[in-house]
Amino acid sequence: MMALQVSSVTKSYPGPDGPVPVLKGVSLSLEPGERVALMGPSGSGKSTLLNCVGGIDRPDGGSIEIAGEDLGGLDEEGLCRLRRQTVSTVFQFFHLLPTLSARENIEFPLLLNGVAESERAARVAALVDEVGLAHRASAMPHELSGGEMQRVAIARALAIEPRLILADEPTGNLDSTTGEAILDLLAALGERHGTAMLVVTHSPQVPRICHRTVEMRDGQLLATEKPA
Amino acid sequence: MKDAATRREPPRTAALLWNRVIRRHWVREPFLTATLAGILALGVAVFLAVRLANKAAVSGFALFTESVSGESDLILRPRAGLLDSSLLRELRAASGPLPVEYFPVLELTGAVSGEEEEGLVRLVGVDLVAIGNALAAAAGSSVANASSKDSGNPSGPGDPESLFRPGAAFVGTAFAAARDLAEGDELRLWIRDREATLEIAGILPDPPNRPAIPATLVLVDLPSLQSLAGEEGRISRIEVRFAEGRDAEEVSAKVAQRLADLATERDLLLETPEDRKASVTRMSAAFRMNLAILSGLALLVGVYLIMQALEAAVVKRRAEIAILRSLGVTPREIRRAWMAEAFALGLVGGLGGILLGRLLASALVGAISATVNMLYYETTTRAVTLHWGEAAFSLGFGVVASLVAGWIPAREASMTPPAQALRQGSQGGGLALLRSWPLGLLLLAVAYACAHIPAVRLPGGTAFALGGYLAAFFGVLGASVLLGLLFRPVAALLGGGGDAMRRYAASRLAAVGGRHRLTAAGLSAAIGMSAAMAILVASFETTLTSWIGQILKADLYVASPGAPSIANANAISEPEWRRIVALPGVAGADTLQRQSIEFEGREILLGGASYHDDPDRFLELLWVDPPPATGPGTLSGDGAWVSEPFQRRFGRGKGDVLELPTPSGTQRVEILGVYADYGNESGTVLVSRASSSAWFDDSKVSSIALYAEEGVDPEELLERLRSEFPAVTARTNELLRTESIRIFHQTFAVTYALEAIAVIIAVGGLGLALAGLLLERRAELATLRAIGATRRDIARAAMWEGVGIALAGLAGGLGVSFFLGWILIEVINPQSFGWTLRYAVPWGGFGLLSALTLATAAAVAWGVGQRNANLRSDRRE
Repeated sequence: MMALQVSSVTKSYPGPDGPVPVLKGVSLSLEPGERVALMGPSGSGKSTLLNCVGGIDRPDGGSIEIAGEDLGGLDEEGLCRLRRQTVSTVFQFFHLLPTLSARENIEFPLLLNGVAESERAARVAALVDEVGLAHRASAMPHELSGGEMQRVAIARALAIEPRLILADEPTGNLDSTTGEAILDLLAALGERHGTAMLVVTHSPQVPRICHRTVEMRDGQLLATEKPA
Repeated sequence: MKDAATRREPPRTAALLWNRVIRRHWVREPFLTATLAGILALGVAVFLAVRLANKAAVSGFALFTESVSGESDLILRPRAGLLDSSLLRELRAASGPLPVEYFPVLELTGAVSGEEEEGLVRLVGVDLVAIGNALAAAAGSSVANASSKDSGNPSGPGDPESLFRPGAAFVGTAFAAARDLAEGDELRLWIRDREATLEIAGILPDPPNRPAIPATLVLVDLPSLQSLAGEEGRISRIEVRFAEGRDAEEVSAKVAQRLADLATERDLLLETPEDRKASVTRMSAAFRMNLAILSGLALLVGVYLIMQALEAAVVKRRAEIAILRSLGVTPREIRRAWMAEAFALGLVGGLGGILLGRLLASALVGAISATVNMLYYETTTRAVTLHWGEAAFSLGFGVVASLVAGWIPAREASMTPPAQALRQGSQGGGLALLRSWPLGLLLLAVAYACAHIPAVRLPGGTAFALGGYLAAFFGVLGASVLLGLLFRPVAALLGGGGDAMRRYAASRLAAVGGRHRLTAAGLSAAIGMSAAMAILVASFETTLTSWIGQILKADLYVASPGAPSIANANAISEPEWRRIVALPGVAGADTLQRQSIEFEGREILLGGASYHDDPDRFLELLWVDPPPATGPGTLSGDGAWVSEPFQRRFGRGKGDVLELPTPSGTQRVEILGVYADYGNESGTVLVSRASSSAWFDDSKVSSIALYAEEGVDPEELLERLRSEFPAVTARTNELLRTESIRIFHQTFAVTYALEAIAVIIAVGGLGLALAGLLLERRAELATLRAIGATRRDIARAAMWEGVGIALAGLAGGLGVSFFLGWILIEVINPQSFGWTLRYAVPWGGFGLLSALTLATAAAVAWGVGQRNANLRSDRRE
């Protein structure tokens, strides 16, 4: 079963002179554990595709399946369940909950899923170790550096053991050294957990950790490249 | 999640969000949380305080014998005047050998010498032997033993003989403590127009399980009081108590039937103490209901504020909600969590409000009791007790208010998209409905229609101006919607000139957002209702001043001792008032005899008036429906003038014939005219004094108005009157006018306080709303800072925006206040009280209110601007 199957997806937004097509029959698939970099200039439709895959936006045509589940058949509650259990997102601005410590942020999705306490504790402890934040686990978000915040966000994304992680410019708000480290971490954890990742980026460093790179222009995927 | 076998606990997301997110915000921002809870607490407190104070003022009315002898089973009393004691013999004959006890009571008002104008004392003459025996029987001893010093009752009368000594009086501990009296001390009292010296024969401790002994009660042996008051052989009522024991119910029913037969035959009233209390306290029901509804004003404004604050919290935490949505939290769960926050806020604020309300009630009860005393009946209570039912009701009201306030923000929060889709600086908030001006017009039309709904009669006859209140509600709502239209003109007004920050603020006002509208709506509601109350008070004052000017034509006013109160039943005997009227320098007099009578199940006043017959100087009443002829001598024979409240309460007008119960039988009088009377809401029937004296066999008068001869100084006449007649209370025309206006303002003191609280809460809301707006615009503020705006500049922009919102709220509020004032004067007031008022607008007061509101709004907005000027554009809350 594919981790992600996007088939002929179209999407338009209303404009002053009629609908403006943003996605023009996009098809894309990700194997389990596969990492794909999605690149392209601003306005090419990357974010729209990411929003459609994440269930934020609905495509006008085509279909999107995540781990065999067709998003078109899901209502708002179903999409919430998908985000809660199957797809995680890593953001450019980290988006940690400000009232929770690093450990609590990682634990939060598990609480939402009703995971039992002993299992929760074990999983959080393991993730904190994996992202190298054991010594900072009790710190609040405002006490963390950008790199540390992104590590917490990655651990949080992995906590539910998702089939797919959507990463939206995960290094866009970090300096290059920290960005490199975060990419290495993403790759390592992706390998270890067997999680597929679709990484939207402008950064030329991202393709280094991906199995392939796809480029988007004017709402269409142009080519699929293997990493250099 | 990949592992389907992962052990699951049922997720309780709302509880999780509460615990991990909302509660932590409360802890992180204790000041904001405390402010919100405090605002709600203030609203609940005002609401509860007025209810408690109302209750205390009403519960203060008790039969004065109740605390001494316990509650009677039945009361027999005349419809008017006093009873002849010989009725007791007839009663005993009627009940035969049945085990029933009769307690004759004479109840009068008096005044303590030296405290003539401070308050009335209630003189109660009872058969002390009978009561003593009844008490002793319950305690298993005789009266003599029970009252002896050795009986272990140190406060009881020392010598049993003292019970029957003429002039022996008993008072409660509160009365004694207030005057530092001890057993054996003298107590000088004015009874009718005579000064009597009583001796304190005992100080009665408050009995357990009965009402506390009122602080105004003076208990005297019945024959002794009859003799002191010159009312030998007369009593006010007979209290009836059935014996307990076997066949009690059967016996009681039998006695009650015989008494009922006798009462019908003799045209007397037979009622239970509960009936009596209910009928008396019903008189002030409309007054109390109006006050209670007014107290909801602070809570209503509080609701607006909580709504704004919770909405601001949504804006502030929008990014956080978006993250939660990204993590898979559903909109429904977000909504529930926000409602849980509103509930918790309501609970905390409500509990705080109960404590605060209890304290506030003690402060209010004095003012409410004073009004009830003045206008309705005598009440004694000054202490408030916290009724748990009331507390629970107020808490519930606070929680519901908070939930209502939280509903829109919760809905808005739940509509937040996941973080992927969130665009920074999205402007939301405010009710979408607030943008529809046709809805505003529709609401005003509904309000106008509601104003024409007639009063609803509640059980017991109290009129409830339901239509008036609905009209006020829809009017406020309609104005809230329409005031969105005011923002553009306000922006145009502020946008001129070269001040960049003022222009920026004006551009923000022109692009009016939901939060602007909601804030201005809160302010407009508070100002509208407060200004409407100010119109009512001003109209009342104008009307009252003109009424006083009309009816106070004499130079001196003489009344029996005791404070001016509806309960004052003191009177001046004929020889005495004739001497007063005959004083040198007196050209003539109006005299009034006042009797309380039962008319169609309700208590009213019957006045017997005799007017000065000088065609150039006579009392001309303010006519609502004038009689065919006015002037000296026109009120005579079987003609009557009735007051406007009487006309409204009983639906009788000119030409109708009234049947008045009097000791000499039912008297038929025809209504010749209707006059305005703002001194009494119960209703008055005025007949000639000759008629009332004859019907009641009573030549005393309650008050006298004296006209000085030309060239005679009223002040000199007053001095003379005071030295020759120390028993009476005399005031000059000017003093009485001043006193009347003072009493009037005292009556409205509570409403002033309620209005002030509402406006303060609303201006506080403006500050909170501005803080939310600035937070929402942090990227814009960062841009302003980047292009060179200083912190002061941003504070100034915030100030102008705050002033703009306040201006819109003020204009809308004052605008709607004219309509609300009209409803209060033309609908609610006539329906509830039966008073016609002349519409008057307190322009000076409006100017002051506007200036204060704008100045406070500017200061609050400036502070908020200063505090938020340094917000980082990328700050994540």
